[in-house]
Amino acid sequence: MALRDWPIQQKLTAMLVLISGLVLLLTTAAFAGYQYWSLRQRTIDALSLRARIIAANSTASLAFANEADARELLSALRVDPHMVAAVLYDKRGHVFAAYPANVAGDAVPAAPGADGYRFEHGLLMGFQPVEEAGSQRLGTLYLASDLKAIYDTFRLSGIIGLAVLAVALLAAYLLSRMLQGTISQPLLALAETAKAVSTRQDYSVRAPELGADELGVLTDAFNQMLGRIEDQNRALRESKEGLEQRVAERTGELEERNEALRHNSAQLLAANTELDAFAYSVSHDLRAPLRSIDGFSQVLLEDYAAQLGEAGQDSLRRVRAATQRMGILIDDLLKLARVTRAEIRAEPVDLSDLARDIAAELQRATPERLVEFAIAPHLKAQGDPRLLRVVLDNLLRNSWKYTAKQARPRIEFGSVEENGGRAFMVRDNGAGFDMKYADKLFGVFQRLHSAAEFEGTGIGLATVRRIINRHGGRIWAEGAVDQGATFYFTL
Amino acid sequence: MALLRFTAALLLVCAARLGAQAAKASEAQVKAVFLFNFAQFVDWPPEAVPDSQAPLVIGILGSDPFGDFLDATVRGEHRGPRPFAVRRYQRVDEISRCDILFISRPVGDQPEEILARLKNRPILTVSDADRFAERGGMIRFVTDRSRIRLQINPQPAEAARLTISSKLLRVAEVITPTGR
Repeated sequence: MALRDWPIQQKLTAMLVLISGLVLLLTTAAFAGYQYWSLRQRTIDALSLRARIIAANSTASLAFANEADARELLSALRVDPHMVAAVLYDKRGHVFAAYPANVAGDAVPAAPGADGYRFEHGLLMGFQPVEEAGSQRLGTLYLASDLKAIYDTFRLSGIIGLAVLAVALLAAYLLSRMLQGTISQPLLALAETAKAVSTRQDYSVRAPELGADELGVLTDAFNQMLGRIEDQNRALRESKEGLEQRVAERTGELEERNEALRHNSAQLLAANTELDAFAYSVSHDLRAPLRSIDGFSQVLLEDYAAQLGEAGQDSLRRVRAATQRMGILIDDLLKLARVTRAEIRAEPVDLSDLARDIAAELQRATPERLVEFAIAPHLKAQGDPRLLRVVLDNLLRNSWKYTAKQARPRIEFGSVEENGGRAFMVRDNGAGFDMKYADKLFGVFQRLHSAAEFEGTGIGLATVRRIINRHGGRIWAEGAVDQGATFYFTL
Repeated sequence: MALLRFTAALLLVCAARLGAQAAKASEAQVKAVFLFNFAQFVDWPPEAVPDSQAPLVIGILGSDPFGDFLDATVRGEHRGPRPFAVRRYQRVDEISRCDILFISRPVGDQPEEILARLKNRPILTVSDADRFAERGGMIRFVTDRSRIRLQINPQPAEAARLTISSKLLRVAEVITPTGR
């Protein structure tokens, strides 16, 4: 397991043990080094002290060549088991006396070396001058001591040091196990709480607060955060519930209204269909009696003109005129009804051609009138050619009719830009109308002028509007009394 | 016991070797060095030292057995600030200021008169005459199988207010005159 994946408790314990172990190790090493050095120094001091004493005592032996005395002096060294060898050299550097007595000749230097002490070949050895106070040198003393004393002491203190190290490490481990809890417990509690929050989505849990240190602050902040999340969650839940309820209410209302609308439109449709059927059948059925009235009025005029007299003939002529007007009225009504029922077959239509045809037709029917036509060329549209002919026929015929009293009548067909699209227009300089009646222009049987002034049934513009509506277009008019009128339509 | 005998044998071998070495240098040479060395282990009373630079005199009474060995030995040497000097005397009354006096044979064979004349003077008397120490001398050289040993009689030395180092006494045979 990688170090960073260790549980925080183990990390803390390992850290503390590592640090204290390192400190102890360094301390022990420094102490051991110092002890080794001081042991060597002490051994040198002890050996040189002993050498000086022996040297001082052996002056007379050397001065008067008393080897037995010298040997006796040296043999005192046997009380120290670490003394390996001792030799007294005379003034000329010859071996005078040696210890131990049976020491091999090559185990000791054959001649004295430089004065002083040194570690050599695992031994501490030294040469001490032998001289009587303030006088010439009598000889040299050589002493050699093994280092077992140093090593024994060093080994003992090493064992003690290692034991102390082990005990201290154990103590550090146990202490850190106890003390790391103050750091790891709040963290573990936090981690536990965070886990509970993330796995159960439970924002009501709180981490226990175990102190006022940084971890306490962290725990506090964490708990506050949880509290805020919980509040926000509650607010969200509440607003969501409110929203759902409102949506449900609105949906219900809308459905009710839709239902009502569906119901209304179905009723309207049924009523419209019924009305159209009624209008058609009425118009159709009215023709037969009308024909009888007209026919028999004609018979009366032709066969009984003498008996009727002039007044009677006039009355009959009026009856006939009225029945003929009624016939036209019925025809128009039937046309309107047919427009309502007819299928629309859309195809490209040249409105300019249509307008020219109609203008020629009007001129043929009343050749004595002089009317100026201005028809813009190549105005094309998409629509039902038969119905669009009805539209243009009605509009141009209207203009023809209302310019009858005009000295220089003029009728114009063209197009204008309207709201980014294109509107067609029929304009005349005829009788015009008052704009406050503009909304009545397109109603059935709505007339702004008397039949005596301008003949008409009041159905034409209603038919036009219905056709335009069925093409998805719009129709409107502008005008003023005696200033002419302009009709605009889009398709 | 075996070890002891072995050690003793070894000691004898060592001694024989050292003895052979000593034999190379003449007996006189060794005695000359000893005479010089006595100066290191004996202290004289202050009235015997006229001043701190005064030479330490080694005198020879009678015939000189050392040739120039003694002169060679003391040449250039000092005891503290004091240089050494060698004087040779034929009669006792020639001895004026002297610190160490070697009385050679044959005059030393009858030392009593000489010693009586020097009595209580701070002079270290040395001789190799027989029974010299017993007869009132201070130090006698004893030749023992080519080795020189010392016999010291501390009593006349004390009477002459000379202090003999205990180290010197340790390497010597201390003689106590009979009848005391």
